Amino acid sequence: MIALPQPDPEIIRQREKIVAALKRLVPGGVISEPAGLTAYDGDALTAYRQAPLACVLPKTKDEVSAVLAFAHEAGVPIVPRGAGTSLSGGALPRADGILLGFGRMARILEIDLENLCVVAEPGGTNAALTRAVEGHGFYYAPDPSSQIACTIGGNIAENSGGLHCLKYGITTHNLLGVEFALPDGARVRFGGKTQDGDGLDLLGIVCGSEGLLGAVVEATVRILPKPPVTRTLLVAFHSVPDSGTCVANIIAAGIIPAAMEFMDRRCIEAIELYCAPGYPNAEAILIIEVDGLAAEVADGVARISEIARASGAHEVREAADERERHALWKGRKAAFSAMGRLAPDMLCMDGTIPRRALHAVLARMAEMAEEYGLGFCNVFHAGDGNLHPLIIFDVMKPGELERAEAFGAEILRLCVSVGGVLTGEHGVGVEKRDLMPEMFSEADLAQQQRLKCAFDAGGLLNPGKVFPTLSACIEQGHAHVKRGQMRHAELPRF
Amino acid sequence: MATSRVSNEADVVEVVRAARESNRTLEIVGHGTKRGFGRPVTCADMLDLSDLRGIVTYEPDEMIITARAATPVAEIEAALAEKNQRLGFEPGDCGPLFGAPASSATIGGVLSASCDGSAAVRYGRCRDHLLGFRAVNGFGEAYKGGGKVVKNVTGFDLPKLFCGAMGTLGPLTEVTLRVFPKAQLSQTFAVGNLSPREGLSLLRRVWSSPLESTGLAFHDGTAFIRVEGSRSALDEKIALLRALSAKDLQQMEDGDEIFRNIASGKLIAGAEGSLWRIHVPPASAAQLVSELQPISWCADIAGALFWAVCNSGQPVPAIGRHFGARTISLRGGDHSPPFEPEDPVRAELTRRIKAAFDPLRLFNAGRMWEGV
Repeated sequence: MIALPQPDPEIIRQREKIVAALKRLVPGGVISEPAGLTAYDGDALTAYRQAPLACVLPKTKDEVSAVLAFAHEAGVPIVPRGAGTSLSGGALPRADGILLGFGRMARILEIDLENLCVVAEPGGTNAALTRAVEGHGFYYAPDPSSQIACTIGGNIAENSGGLHCLKYGITTHNLLGVEFALPDGARVRFGGKTQDGDGLDLLGIVCGSEGLLGAVVEATVRILPKPPVTRTLLVAFHSVPDSGTCVANIIAAGIIPAAMEFMDRRCIEAIELYCAPGYPNAEAILIIEVDGLAAEVADGVARISEIARASGAHEVREAADERERHALWKGRKAAFSAMGRLAPDMLCMDGTIPRRALHAVLARMAEMAEEYGLGFCNVFHAGDGNLHPLIIFDVMKPGELERAEAFGAEILRLCVSVGGVLTGEHGVGVEKRDLMPEMFSEADLAQQQRLKCAFDAGGLLNPGKVFPTLSACIEQGHAHVKRGQMRHAELPRF
Repeated sequence: MATSRVSNEADVVEVVRAARESNRTLEIVGHGTKRGFGRPVTCADMLDLSDLRGIVTYEPDEMIITARAATPVAEIEAALAEKNQRLGFEPGDCGPLFGAPASSATIGGVLSASCDGSAAVRYGRCRDHLLGFRAVNGFGEAYKGGGKVVKNVTGFDLPKLFCGAMGTLGPLTEVTLRVFPKAQLSQTFAVGNLSPREGLSLLRRVWSSPLESTGLAFHDGTAFIRVEGSRSALDEKIALLRALSAKDLQQMEDGDEIFRNIASGKLIAGAEGSLWRIHVPPASAAQLVSELQPISWCADIAGALFWAVCNSGQPVPAIGRHFGARTISLRGGDHSPPFEPEDPVRAELTRRIKAAFDPLRLFNAGRMWEGV
């Protein structure tokens, strides 16, 4: 298990006072009874559970600011939370921390088709952005598999990717502006209906900052015209290396499909058992999607089909209609659930590697699985080398969680050793926190922590995430008011 | 004033440590083509990075290139062209606005001044292309940010922060960029005799369509629209473009050069007056033009980026703010500082971030704002 920070007993002793203060700041929006808090005791990194000290669900920006200002003054940690779909434990609560949930700030505030953007509150879902504009022929491009549940605020915090980011980029490329609440509750705008062109790119830095710098209270995102034509190919291979060659050849030919997804045999079989999308018998399949105008798409489909056959594919099948297309994607999107049927627990890894290392990495992973005696399968975004090995285990069997985590860590070390990175789209969170030194030197991490301190000198925003060691911010002039003040219960803030 | 000319990262570290010990500030210079961009800095010494050049690795199959910070953009573009690839943000060459020779910018300089070109309308601004870097901070430590793969969310996205930072966070020593395949065919069309309102509205119509245009600019009554793809794709796009513009399309011979000239401010730089780079929500562009009545101007990135020459003394930033614009004065805006003041909360944050990278304010201090 990854060690979680020791809760501060002093804060826990003050729990009732903190809850009372929160209830005054956000009337009707505080959950403090144990049964209610259970619903908020973790995210999609399911092996880790921890109920928060209290959960607060503000409805307005001012309430968010008031909660932050209170926590800042009182020295209480804050964990921001969207829908709790993080796979890296980004929204894992703390026993001594306030969970700041955005579930009641879910409105679309403005649809601006002239500027191709939507302004939204952070707690609305990713899918709701597209729903708001699809009637006009537009959509929001980043599409994490959890898009029906995950929120735009969470997407910004994690800089989420998705199946189609090969062509359309990840959250940061589709974000125009945010209103951001700083740890002391002050609010500031970065960007707007167009990104700022002057000064430091603070929009760029808060996107993907995993809740460590503050909280997004409003977001403006780019929408795109819906491509008129989308065609989807299923390409099957008798050998995994051939599928890797096919991916490399498509990219080398200068084609950037909208999506290019890989699944291995174990994954295909699990999905077939689960929802039978009609995947063929193969060692590996690729789902490749091309979108745009009809002629361009036809051209892409023809070239990809040709490259696939020349690379050794034994089957190249195009979805004949929308129903078949949805079935192909339904299988891919269900990979997680399908594997979940085979064992009670699962770890989904998220390293990215240079494509050239693909074959070596897949071969080594298969050896490791033998060594650790655990089942796993491979799903990944082939176009950009973002691997999602799914490791299955049973947390009730002694030692299995530890073995699964060790296996996962070794996979990520392998990714870094071939020139890749620890996480392509899920974030560091708790899960990969202790592996950061594999990728970053002490100086690299120190510089990132100094940036953290520039935003959050008190270290109250999502502590225990991302960085393997908490370092005190010692810059002069930022002396933090410690919670010692809370002992003065007579102060009017309570 | 002493100049330290360095050719590797270890030298940069040494120079910065010495500067730190003697508390002498450093102006960071590549080829010096944009020294006139921003507030004038008066540093004790100069850190000349121009020998820190050369492509470190170029992997066309990975669509990634790593180069030392002062590698000329032209050298990178030539290497990419050999493999039929390009930089997606099509860097603008604005050095000549400050009296420097054309085509002499370095990659580090272009990123630091955020010189976004016309293709950014399709592929994103330079901040979307810098995947990773190495740099030296004000503590005299060499460190890295980001990574060397396209998809990476490990740790804070420091590369974003360095794009447009004007060197105030410290010298970059190496950068890793993503690159894109060149289109099979690329054609630029001109649609003439348009009022600013009509022209800017046409740009937005094309931008809102599935054409995936890689250039959407307007200058002097003419909209320039670039479309790319295979022969059959292009035929379909041109037909759609005809329908959208409802006007004659004139095919241009030198399309890429037109966009290059627009993105470097060259088309309007000759006019007398103050010169501005303006970022504005595209739908407000036409109103902004009608309010500003510039002496000369052009629009790029579907109207989101403006180059304007205005009457000296005109309060351009104040007018721009009515339309959600942010302005940078490039030349002759003697009544305005080059960078607009930030609101107090943001200014404090900027000051703290500067201190997080460069607590002694050794690097280009004051280039954007006082102390930053």
